[in-house]
Amino acid sequence: MQMLQAIAVGLPLTILVTILALAIGTVLAIPLVAGLRSGNRLVWLLTRGTIDLLRGIPPVVWLFILYYGVSIGALRMSALQAAVIGLGLVAAAYLAEIFRGAIGSVHQGQWEASSALGFRTGTAWGRVIGPQAWRTAIPAYTTYGIGLLKDSSIASTIGVAEIVFMSNQYARQSGEGILVFFIAAGIYILLSMPLGMLSRHLDTKMRKAVAR
Amino acid sequence: MSHTAPTKIRNVVQVRNLAKAYGDNVVLRDVSLSVPEGSVTAMIGPSGAGKSTVLRCMNLLEKPDSGEIEIDGHVINARKKISPKNLAALRRSAGMVFQHFNLFPHMTVLRNISLPQERILGRSRDEANTKTMELLTRMGLGDKADHYPARCSGGQQQRIAIARALALGPRVMLFDEPTSALDPEVGVEVLEVMKELASEGMTMVVVTHEMGFAANVSNELVVMADGCIIESGDPRQIMSDPQHERTRRFLRAVLER
Repeated sequence: MQMLQAIAVGLPLTILVTILALAIGTVLAIPLVAGLRSGNRLVWLLTRGTIDLLRGIPPVVWLFILYYGVSIGALRMSALQAAVIGLGLVAAAYLAEIFRGAIGSVHQGQWEASSALGFRTGTAWGRVIGPQAWRTAIPAYTTYGIGLLKDSSIASTIGVAEIVFMSNQYARQSGEGILVFFIAAGIYILLSMPLGMLSRHLDTKMRKAVAR
Repeated sequence: MSHTAPTKIRNVVQVRNLAKAYGDNVVLRDVSLSVPEGSVTAMIGPSGAGKSTVLRCMNLLEKPDSGEIEIDGHVINARKKISPKNLAALRRSAGMVFQHFNLFPHMTVLRNISLPQERILGRSRDEANTKTMELLTRMGLGDKADHYPARCSGGQQQRIAIARALALGPRVMLFDEPTSALDPEVGVEVLEVMKELASEGMTMVVVTHEMGFAANVSNELVVMADGCIIESGDPRQIMSDPQHERTRRFLRAVLER
């Protein structure tokens, strides 16, 4: 019980890092998608390069670069800031690809109908293309979110006191190695299962409504 | 000196010297055509002739390389900069019906027809819904308002798409092979609605393979081949006595099927 309590202290930071990184990733993915869809060759190339760079380097290295590297210079970052920003940037790159694919899956005719009816670009995106793309993106998006929940444990490497960090600390103090990490594993499963269920539920519900 | 005789019928649509190419592939060469108010123009011809392209250029779904389009007084010249305001006005004057309906699958039938009215005409939700129900009832689809498009048959979906376009009060309706994706029996439902629209005086341009419709409903037949209008005029006359060899070949092929 004491063990569980000690580990659970890390729960708020695990959730915080996950949610903030996902939020940053989602917001930053939007300009990246715009860049990937750009007709301008240079913009496309820069965006493509940024995404490949973000995805090509392991998240743990990003965290080290942000925490130890950047912190040497003028920009001082706390461990939490570095974790959230680092994981958020990597998330942006992956989510941009997910969103781009989802937007591409919306039938060309939907654009044509929007134009022919005289919708402004904003209306077409907000009412026609966006909602359909979002429905397509939901399963991949939640899958990424669940992955991110588990990847938030990488933050322990720079000293963010989340679940794995707390487990590690408790294991060292108490000498009860394996059991501590089984409990940590159990907490992750309990956190991710409802997310998966929610995603599947949303997916089937929407499919039922608009099944072709 | 130019003066208009009082009996002269206004042209709702005028297309002047339209040309378009995709790279080396020339799809339209110098196409001109006028659509008088209240008339039905049917466009026929072999696939790849450029019929749909002409139609899609009329509301700028495709941008011609050169030429001019005028709908209800709104002029767009392909060589000049197109102002968004002018484009919006032109599109507002033209309603479009697609081969594959292109209804919004994530909205109910009611929302499909009401949303554009709210956005384009600034109608309140209540006003829009009233108009929508009136149109749906007229099409015999009053009970479908709360369904999603996927739960409607193809013929129903196409009639819903017609209602969606009509709800914006267009001056001309453009139909791009409206029955080509439908079983012949179902297509009849759609053709009936179109016939009724024509009898009410709606100006229509219809790209079609339905020779019956072209012969019996249209006032003007336009035959296209290889990016050109090769023949145009009275539908029955062209069908019984085509002047152009290409027309003869096409009609023979269609009628012998």
